[in-house]
Amino acid sequence: MSNVMKTAARGGLQLDRFMPEAAKLHRLSALLTLVILIIGFSLASQSFFSVNNTLTVLLQTSVIGLLGIGMTMVIITGGIDLSVGSVLALSGVVTGMCVKAGLPVIPAMGLGVVAGAACGAVNGLVITRMRIPPFVATLGMMLIARGLALQLTGAAPISQLGAAFGRLGNGALFRVVEMQPNGFPKVIFPGIPYPAILLLVVALGAAYILRCRQIGRHIYATGSNEEAARLSGVRVDMTKLYAYVMSGALAGVAGNVLMSRLVTAQPSEGVMYELDAIAAAVIGGASLSGGVGAVSGTMIGAFIIGILRNGLNMAGVSAFIQQIIIGVVVIGAVWIDQVRNRN
Amino acid sequence: MTQTPLVEMIDIEKHFGGVRAVDHVSLSLNPGEVVGVLGHNGAGKSCLMRILAGAMVPSAGEIRVNGKPVHFADPNGARDVGIETIYQTLALADHLDAPKNLFLGRELKTRFGNLDDARMLREAQKVLARLNPNFKNLRDPVSQLSGGQRQVIAIARAIYFDTKILIMDEPTAALGPSETAMVADLIRQLQAEGIGIFLVSHDMHDVFELCDRVVVMNKGHLVGQHAIGEVNKDDVLSLIVKGELPADWCARNLAEAH
Repeated sequence: MSNVMKTAARGGLQLDRFMPEAAKLHRLSALLTLVILIIGFSLASQSFFSVNNTLTVLLQTSVIGLLGIGMTMVIITGGIDLSVGSVLALSGVVTGMCVKAGLPVIPAMGLGVVAGAACGAVNGLVITRMRIPPFVATLGMMLIARGLALQLTGAAPISQLGAAFGRLGNGALFRVVEMQPNGFPKVIFPGIPYPAILLLVVALGAAYILRCRQIGRHIYATGSNEEAARLSGVRVDMTKLYAYVMSGALAGVAGNVLMSRLVTAQPSEGVMYELDAIAAAVIGGASLSGGVGAVSGTMIGAFIIGILRNGLNMAGVSAFIQQIIIGVVVIGAVWIDQVRNRN
Repeated sequence: MTQTPLVEMIDIEKHFGGVRAVDHVSLSLNPGEVVGVLGHNGAGKSCLMRILAGAMVPSAGEIRVNGKPVHFADPNGARDVGIETIYQTLALADHLDAPKNLFLGRELKTRFGNLDDARMLREAQKVLARLNPNFKNLRDPVSQLSGGQRQVIAIARAIYFDTKILIMDEPTAALGPSETAMVADLIRQLQAEGIGIFLVSHDMHDVFELCDRVVVMNKGHLVGQHAIGEVNKDDVLSLIVKGELPADWCARNLAEAH
């Protein structure tokens, strides 16, 4: 082989000492940020680093996490899903109405998730068949789903859904309660909240799909170079449709978790949650230009947001200041993404 | 001709609105034949090749493979009958590594339907080593590889599967001299195996060295189709630029025949 070849090979080796680390580096820096946040808040507030508060954070993060996983799939294809917050509300409302209509809780929740998946399917079809950019298509769905949720309920929350409806959001595994002699129960271990377990299962499932299944490989390929994927025989349209359906269905799951926690179907719930989900994915290293992202990163991103909210609350920072801080974090994360792409 | 051609493209047309990108073109390819496809940018040669690759659906006309009419709805249809394409853009997914690109759309799977990345890596090592023994960075995203290495992946992808017809769109444009020689060797090797090759190229030297026949396109028309011995570089150039042979070609050829 010629010198040209050798130089090229050496150049490649030199490059790969820096480059492939970039994605991992981003995830690592996110993880480091998470650890610093935990240490910082633990120092600021005694009760932050306690079993109870840890479980509360798990519970609070599960909704962002579920939305973030679906969002990650969509973002890897090179798209965006702005409708998840509204779809979450619509799904919860559908479940609530089904329960009110006399359906048992589990089938009702199933229908809620199906409603979410249907919204995702509409997103996917509008994007692939009508060739409408994902930003516009899902912005439309954001208004449509919210409008539907408000119209179906007359903008009033559906309450008195029964204890069974609240179990998913409020129940916990391995909960240990001891009756005290004075008649009051004493919680020895509050248990692992069901939403946290659900999040773990969904995260593992999504990671498996992205890493070990053909559709996962095609999701990455579509976002990396859509035309190349198409010429390689990847059914690009089906792949995108799959990602949007997953995003919609997971928004439905998240909606059920949230409404169950409130034991009320709230049509106005979930406003701006899509931004938390996008932020979680991007903080975790997903690239808005597609082809890059991982469920593990998004989980870190979701916990950064969740812990930031929780810790700031405990430190007594006002809700307005919290918004400012999270806004700065979102810009910072996207800025890091841009810098990474420029390199 | 007694032999059934590998491919026959009959009266192919492709319109974009009022523009006729390919206008009534008929073309055939025999086993073990290398046909050079030449023409200016926009002459319709890439369009014609994309139609054969299944990446574009023709407005009219018929394609036959081994005498049987075929219709390609997408690139998979063409691949199923053994038509592989090396695109000028290489069509690689930048964030994926070499084995993942090689098997993209045709992933190897385990019994449980999971991706068999270990086997894909081993197979990729084998086929890439055949083309370039120095190819080591199989785990890097292809965006970090050199132009030559990327080209090797695109070539490997086209010859790994059971290829019968190979379309090469400017396969040497990004390559240095030694790699170009490697591609030339490969073309001769594939030719000996009975694979038919369409070689789209601007490089007159390559075309005259490797091809058995040249076809020239100009403004969507097929303006010339000649065995390589019938024409010289100036004749082909005239076909490309003016769409016709030089005025003295007939006389010259008659003279040579005598």
